[in-house]
Amino acid sequence: MSLQMDELKTQHYDDKTVVHFLWATLFWGVIAFVVGLLAALQLSYWGFNLNLEWLTFGRVRPLHTNAAIFAFAGNAIFAGIYHSTQRLCRVRMFSDALSKIHFWGWQLIIVSAAITLPLGFSQSKEYAELEWPIDIAITLVWVVFAINFFMTLKNRKEKHMYVALWFYIATIITVAVLHIFNSIEIPVGYLNSYPVYAGIQDALVQWWYGHNAVAFFLTTPFLGLMYYYIPKAANRPVYSYKLSIIHFWALIFIYIWAGPHHLLNTALPDWAQTLGVVFSVMLWAPSWGGMINGILTLRGAWDLLRTDPIIKFLITAVTFYGMSTFEGPLLSIKAVSSLGHYTDWIVAHVHGGTLGWNGFLVFGMIYYLVPKLYQTDLYSKKLATLHFWIGLAGILIYYLSMWAAGITQGLMWRAINEAGQLVYPDFVETVTAIVPLYWVRALGGTLYIIGTIIMLYNLRQTVKASKGLREEKVTAPLTERKKNDHEDKGHRKLEGMMVTFSILSFIAIAVGSAIEIIPILTVNDYAKYEKVIEPFSPLEIAGRDIYIREGCYTCHSQMIRKLDFDVLRFGKASTIEESMYDRPFQWGSKRTGPDLARVGKKYPHLWHYKHMENPRSTVAGSIMPNYPWLLDKKTDFYSLRRKIYVLKSLGVPYADEVVKNADKVAEEQAKIIADELRAQGVNDDKLEQKEVVALIAYLQELGQKPLIRNINLEK
Amino acid sequence: MSSQDDDKLIEGHDYDGIQELNNPLPKWWMITFFLTIIFAIFYYAYYEILSGPSSDQELATKMQKVEAAQEAAKPSLDKIVASINREELRSDAQMMKKAKKIFKRKCAACHGREGQGMIGPNLTDKYWMHSKGDFKGVLEAIREGFPEKGMQAWKEIIDENQQLYLTEFVLGFQGTNPANPKEPQGELIE
Repeated sequence: MSLQMDELKTQHYDDKTVVHFLWATLFWGVIAFVVGLLAALQLSYWGFNLNLEWLTFGRVRPLHTNAAIFAFAGNAIFAGIYHSTQRLCRVRMFSDALSKIHFWGWQLIIVSAAITLPLGFSQSKEYAELEWPIDIAITLVWVVFAINFFMTLKNRKEKHMYVALWFYIATIITVAVLHIFNSIEIPVGYLNSYPVYAGIQDALVQWWYGHNAVAFFLTTPFLGLMYYYIPKAANRPVYSYKLSIIHFWALIFIYIWAGPHHLLNTALPDWAQTLGVVFSVMLWAPSWGGMINGILTLRGAWDLLRTDPIIKFLITAVTFYGMSTFEGPLLSIKAVSSLGHYTDWIVAHVHGGTLGWNGFLVFGMIYYLVPKLYQTDLYSKKLATLHFWIGLAGILIYYLSMWAAGITQGLMWRAINEAGQLVYPDFVETVTAIVPLYWVRALGGTLYIIGTIIMLYNLRQTVKASKGLREEKVTAPLTERKKNDHEDKGHRKLEGMMVTFSILSFIAIAVGSAIEIIPILTVNDYAKYEKVIEPFSPLEIAGRDIYIREGCYTCHSQMIRKLDFDVLRFGKASTIEESMYDRPFQWGSKRTGPDLARVGKKYPHLWHYKHMENPRSTVAGSIMPNYPWLLDKKTDFYSLRRKIYVLKSLGVPYADEVVKNADKVAEEQAKIIADELRAQGVNDDKLEQKEVVALIAYLQELGQKPLIRNINLEK
Repeated sequence: MSSQDDDKLIEGHDYDGIQELNNPLPKWWMITFFLTIIFAIFYYAYYEILSGPSSDQELATKMQKVEAAQEAAKPSLDKIVASINREELRSDAQMMKKAKKIFKRKCAACHGREGQGMIGPNLTDKYWMHSKGDFKGVLEAIREGFPEKGMQAWKEIIDENQQLYLTEFVLGFQGTNPANPKEPQGELIE
């Protein structure tokens, strides 16, 4: 073969790209953590938004999650994948140009997220908040990454693909599928759009995405990294090849089904919820397969756990993975979910995974990589060990405080006395009860950040003492792929077949996706003809877009679950029809404030006006921030015709007259509300133009829209 | 590396120096996996194929229980009103102080700190919109609210006994003359 001609040529691995991704990981990591701390402090004391709309919790929270997941974890994944893939394939990355485009493209996406999210441009779909131009950019950069990765695989000099590569393959394919299908949206402006899915469909697609973002962005790539860096750092063989095979396929096949466990006890049809429960439970063992392989690889070298900070980080990370993947299935049991859902227990669960599993694995990997790439020793093992203990203390304080907060609040919500009444009917008292724990949580986060800063110092000193980065040479001669002296069989054969392996991975994740999502997409049909709800008026849509911009969903759900205590507190359980035109759906995932599904007409307009100006003027002890800018900013009536037009084209039954005159219709409704508010003493001549009026119009209709039958959709 | 492990190393599995052992799947792990699969089959079959209750049925059963408990515990307002002595209520300074605090926290947002009215009607004048301005009427207003007018029901939020003192406290506004009173609403009751 022609490759034999190149036998004597040596190549360098592209370690520059690895280092770029590494420093980006650290840079964005610190920002993600600090923004997280800010969000934590805002829950401890509402004034920590400094009265700035850009720094208010509803906008800061998505900034934190996006930065932590896509900037911190994302860059770390890329660093690890670029480093390990080249070595596992014994070849340089396919294209330096693509590597550069990947790196800078990704950083640009992060920067655009860091600008647009605080400005309130958001789709409000969790971990998919970014608006459509950024969605397109993500797709393009991901395709660049995929080409670069798969072409490197194709060029590999190693016949078989190691288990780490299997996980990378599954990651790249599945993230692409998830991102594309969850992001199908119709633009209504440069940075505005409505998703094609509505209500229950949007909820299911979103949590299929959201759950599997955890699975295929925070789990499978990290398992791949684990499979490379633990054996390397410990210099021990992987515990069980067989286990790798079984748990890999079981994990990717089962994971994709578990999304509905985010929607237990809601209006989602029972069968989908049941599937969510059973597949989450079945996910327990495959997840632990990874943990077993990670931890038992250390067999015969347990002393490293005592002496080597890298091993400390890596093995603790895997232990947190084990805890989170036990807690996950547990929380997916409907009864447990009824206690934990919407509370800080979920926040605890997530941070056990992110701070423990993702964070510590990344730290371990970086402590391993930096000295290696710079061909020097780590400046201080002691400081690394200190980082480990401070970080661990931070995680435990975070975890335990949020566990206590979540379970306390969950128990308060569900307490019903002998007279059939809620024991804690006042929502705010279930919030003030746990505010002290929010302070404790902020302490945990602070410790975690201090640990990270110690690491930064340690790495800086390490690099300073080095002679700079030197790209490692491919030590093995560049022969063609090693040939076996015997024919491969079964899975071993598959490991030599990149394309077939990738197709099978795709099928594994496509089965569960199709079975769950396709039937729900057809729900639209029966809802259309049998039960139709009156859509929101143009002004209410304007208000709804403000609700989304401010990230109200980060603290308020709009989904009264089929649970007695939810019904006693908030009214009749929510139905599918009630959110059938909601683009995006606003069911929410956390109740820091009360559910709003039926808040309409519960309070007078003036109550809402005063509440937005200062929530504590109407609800003593509230931790909601003030929203004074809603009283000043003017409602965007201008874009309403376009918005209503797009919504109508998506099937919302608006009359043509309403589409044509959407802005005028809205202004008329605003006038009525403004007049009423003025009659009650609000002193503002231009009140009808203000955003607060549109928001009040929306809030007052929540849960109030009547069912209408046989509507003429042609009209 | 112990020699025992060397025996189990799989030949030909060497990736950048990483080798793999041929350890069997841990038994307890296999058993766990199979048990969860069996659970899944039975759970799904029970709820989706056999006669397991739907989530709507489960909710209905629970709500029946709750409503039965509420029915059984329902106090008769007439009885309560007949049994109280308003003088006695008024003379319990501690409870009246607490009632004042509750009024400030829960009621003042709409009725004003001095009962002068704001979002809600003035409580100091002799005009009443719903109740007749008597003890029973005001108690009922506090307990049931007027949800369609924006006043919520407080019966589950404010303690039963405390509601009596709060009623007495509200009636105590009669005849006071706070600043900036809201104009009279409802009907004059002498």
